[in-house]
Amino acid sequence: MEEKVLTRHFGLENFYKIEVYLKQGGYQAVKKALLEMKPEDVLAEVKKANLRGRGGAGFPAGVKWGFVPQKVQKPRYLCVNADEGEPGTFKDRYIMAHIPHQLLEGIIISSYAVGIHSAYIYIRGEYEAIAQRLEQAIAEASVKGFLGQNILKSGFDLDLAVHRGAGAYICGEETALLESLEGKRGHPRLKPPFPASVGLFQSPTVINNVETIVNIPVIIAQGADWFVQKGLPKDGGTRIFGVSGAVKKPGIYELPMGASLKEIIYKYAGGLPEGRTLKAVIPGGMSAPVLTAEEIDIKMDFESLVAANSMLGSAAVIVIDDRTSMLQVLKTITKFYSHESCGQCTPCRIGTSWIHKIVTRIAEGKGEKDDLETILRLASNIKGKTLCPLGDAAAMPILSLTQKFSKELAAELPN
Amino acid sequence: MAKILIDGKPLEVTDGLTIMKAADSAGIIIPRFCYHPAFVPEGSCRMCLVEIEGLPKLELACSTVVRDGMKISTGSENVVEARRGVLEFLLAEHPLDCPICDKAGECTLQDYYEGYGRYKGVFQEFKEKREKKLVLGKSLALDRERCILCTRCVRFLTEVTKTQELGVFKRGVRSEIGPYEKEPVDNNYSGNLVEICPVGAITDLDFRFKTRPWFLNTGESICPLCSRGCNIYIDYLPGFARQEETKKVLRIRSRENLRVNGYWICDLGRYGYSRLDQNRWEEPAMYQAGKRIGINWDKALIVLAEKIKGLVIRARTARIAVLAQTYLTNEELFLLRRLFRDDLRVERILFVDPPQGTGDELLLTADRSPNRRGAQEIGFDLNLPTLEAATQGTELLLVFGSFLHDRFDLAGVKTALEKVATKFLFTPRVRDHNALFDFVLPTAMTAEKSGSLTNFEGKVQKFGPALELRGESLPEWRFLVNLGKELRTNYRYYNQFVSPKEIFREMVKEIPFFEQDR
Amino acid sequence: MSVELSPQTKKKIDELLVHYPKKEAALLPVLHLVQQEFGAITREEEQLVAALLNVKPIRVREVVTFYTMLRQERQGRYLLQVCSNLTCTLAGSERLIDYLKRRLGVGVGETTPDNRFTLSTVECLGACDQAPCMMVNLDYHTGLTEEKIEKILEGLK
Repeated sequence: MEEKVLTRHFGLENFYKIEVYLKQGGYQAVKKALLEMKPEDVLAEVKKANLRGRGGAGFPAGVKWGFVPQKVQKPRYLCVNADEGEPGTFKDRYIMAHIPHQLLEGIIISSYAVGIHSAYIYIRGEYEAIAQRLEQAIAEASVKGFLGQNILKSGFDLDLAVHRGAGAYICGEETALLESLEGKRGHPRLKPPFPASVGLFQSPTVINNVETIVNIPVIIAQGADWFVQKGLPKDGGTRIFGVSGAVKKPGIYELPMGASLKEIIYKYAGGLPEGRTLKAVIPGGMSAPVLTAEEIDIKMDFESLVAANSMLGSAAVIVIDDRTSMLQVLKTITKFYSHESCGQCTPCRIGTSWIHKIVTRIAEGKGEKDDLETILRLASNIKGKTLCPLGDAAAMPILSLTQKFSKELAAELPN
Repeated sequence: MAKILIDGKPLEVTDGLTIMKAADSAGIIIPRFCYHPAFVPEGSCRMCLVEIEGLPKLELACSTVVRDGMKISTGSENVVEARRGVLEFLLAEHPLDCPICDKAGECTLQDYYEGYGRYKGVFQEFKEKREKKLVLGKSLALDRERCILCTRCVRFLTEVTKTQELGVFKRGVRSEIGPYEKEPVDNNYSGNLVEICPVGAITDLDFRFKTRPWFLNTGESICPLCSRGCNIYIDYLPGFARQEETKKVLRIRSRENLRVNGYWICDLGRYGYSRLDQNRWEEPAMYQAGKRIGINWDKALIVLAEKIKGLVIRARTARIAVLAQTYLTNEELFLLRRLFRDDLRVERILFVDPPQGTGDELLLTADRSPNRRGAQEIGFDLNLPTLEAATQGTELLLVFGSFLHDRFDLAGVKTALEKVATKFLFTPRVRDHNALFDFVLPTAMTAEKSGSLTNFEGKVQKFGPALELRGESLPEWRFLVNLGKELRTNYRYYNQFVSPKEIFREMVKEIPFFEQDR
Repeated sequence: MSVELSPQTKKKIDELLVHYPKKEAALLPVLHLVQQEFGAITREEEQLVAALLNVKPIRVREVVTFYTMLRQERQGRYLLQVCSNLTCTLAGSERLIDYLKRRLGVGVGETTPDNRFTLSTVECLGACDQAPCMMVNLDYHTGLTEEKIEKILEGLK
């Protein structure tokens, strides 16, 4: 069994309380970073570790931090993306519930590296219980002097607040998150400019996923080389895979970057329940193009999945069995995106709803023979043409599903 | 400077310009809905996507800044496909309202479908049903089914008037634009929303169902209702043979002028067009013993010239007084100066302008006439006189304009005028005080003249007539030229003035301020 | 008729405002607190929040109508939010929604006559490994079966 890095102490009782956390060596990484290292050195170490973003986009964290201009006379901000809205994804909920202090450690070290003195955890509103746990952890950490002014007498100040979202998947997109954090509708912004130069309150901002941030203390404590070695050369560290759907043991599984999808499903998640066979797998959260049962012999890392015309995304594996109607899956998928579209740009606003209307009509038995062709064409007019990635996130599963299961779907239509 | 290629055409463009601005400057039209040069680019309609060599995805022209060496295609297969896609999406949820929609004929959606669409529609689902006539304020109606959510209206009220009456509510395809409760869009620039709405979502109740744009003729003019000098279009029905419609102005629109009014006009100027058609004084007349008798211009001219000559011979031109106002053009004011002040040595050239109003921070000025600055530069004192000063010791009074009744009460005017032996009124309007004069002669309004006006900032604007002269009316400059010729003291001088152009040339010689090359 | 905040809520708001350079940025957290106290963000609450954060009421309404968790109308005492997303649907959430409809005698989006329960569906709650799931107000209930739902409903007085 590979050594667990992040989930090591998930079973430990009360590990979310600072006393227990400190006993296990917690906050040593903060001490090392703030008292023994210069911010540039912390940044260099994170870059060397080849830590790619764990939210879905997979952008190297160290490189992103490097984009923040240091000479600009504006405050800088860190936003931790805890919006976790990608269907099938629940890893961040576990992380924040079990190791909130490791998240705080990561926030402190990251802020130190980039010269940030104000940080927010943008957490989805539904995670109220988790938000309270985080606030509790922040209170504990503040009392112990790990947050606030002059942390550990290093001269470094950091203010950290929990900011609740209110039920909008789009706010997981980084610029929509910023808009929401500014008290507005979650409408994504045009890029460029990128948040690293113009972000929260028009100031340079770093946005990272929860899982990305909790890896930071590990990198500082163990070193970048160790971290890289836990994963792949260009893709350091472990990944927390979420598995749900038609498996015997749904849940989170921490494995090295590049773990085998087949193993994840059959070895770790126990395979499918009795009497069921595999029909399809969504490998990286609902937005990732679907894989057929024949396509699951694949390594779960960014490059391998792109090569298979899918994506690692949030590493949320959804297993679909032979009893499931792909038409129903398509209907659920299109319902989601049309409900969550922010409505700003034409293709996503109208396209997602139009496709959902077509699929619903087919499901009611009123399909027309050109419907699939229309769906493919509309989805192609959404893909790559929208203001933000939600359009692609909608178009890709619709395209892959309609193409790979065209026979099954066509059977619902008149000849 | 950046050297780029758009559709194979080389262009040199200032650094920092967007593709859209570069294309616009070169006359290459890239279609757009949400983009408007007055606002920060929004990038939400996706209609302006263009192909840039070397980039994998199509990029927005409105927000992509040009870089040296960029090769842009606005008509490649991918671009054509993308545009069709956007149109197809918009029209899918758009109601088939063209037959009853005021925007038909000047609708971007229609125009773009003709240019970039022309596909077979396949949408057969249920369209979202929404409110079709939400009254937004004094003159606006919102049709939510037609709205394409370009948010130009919301952004106008946020970025320009900063009054924020409209917002976007709900999410996704259910998104809708609207006011807060029943609070009206109640600012002096609301009419601009109708112009910037690319489709028939925001329409003008003032224009509703009156006509079709293709029946309208358009003339260009300057709005005279304040001293900003906003550039306008006047849309009018030219009138049809054998139909009851007579020539009628139906609408005023803003005309872009980045030096003067930018892209907008205020509601005062936009909705005040009924004064052009209603209550117009169109025939020369005289009043004898309380009765109105029709005459012609020649007769009036001769009578006036005789009166003046009589006073000249007796060295009594001090008994002449002129009441003018600053709706008169630069040329007309210059003629007044030349003829009355210089030639006739008339000292009392006094000004009765409309009362001041309240200006706002955008366009409307407190001064409510268009040429006060022009009158100042030509050398007149614009302080409001007393009726005494105008009529005491006055044998011949010439009044240009119709604002006496706005600055003095009618009874006072009547009493004062009774002291004057001969009174001429030159006015375009039917007003109560007209009957107090001996001769009432019809003049043209600004929209029917040519000439120039000087706005409060000192910008001189030349303009031509947007509308034809009504009835027997004449622009004041033509009458003054005729009077100058009739008086015979300086015939050759006045005879050169066949149009305001020659007057302006003379004016520049004497008053260098008007030599504006900007 | 205007509404007034309880001193506890006022205190919580004052505490969180400290973290934002601009008051209006705290709109979402403030709306959560106000909704918890008053049950919904109706016109009165909109005006209250607008005055508190120095924004126009229209901006508040724009935000309230955008986010799923913010409501303009008061719901039943217990808002049942059943996940209808992919994994939960694969695990049979549609059947459970039908069950709740029959059991409570309401449709989706409707409230029982005694104002006790409002039934609604929501998108992914992030607990897919324990599908099917629902939220009751702000509490998670996972691994649902008809029996489990019965027990939960009983406990909600």
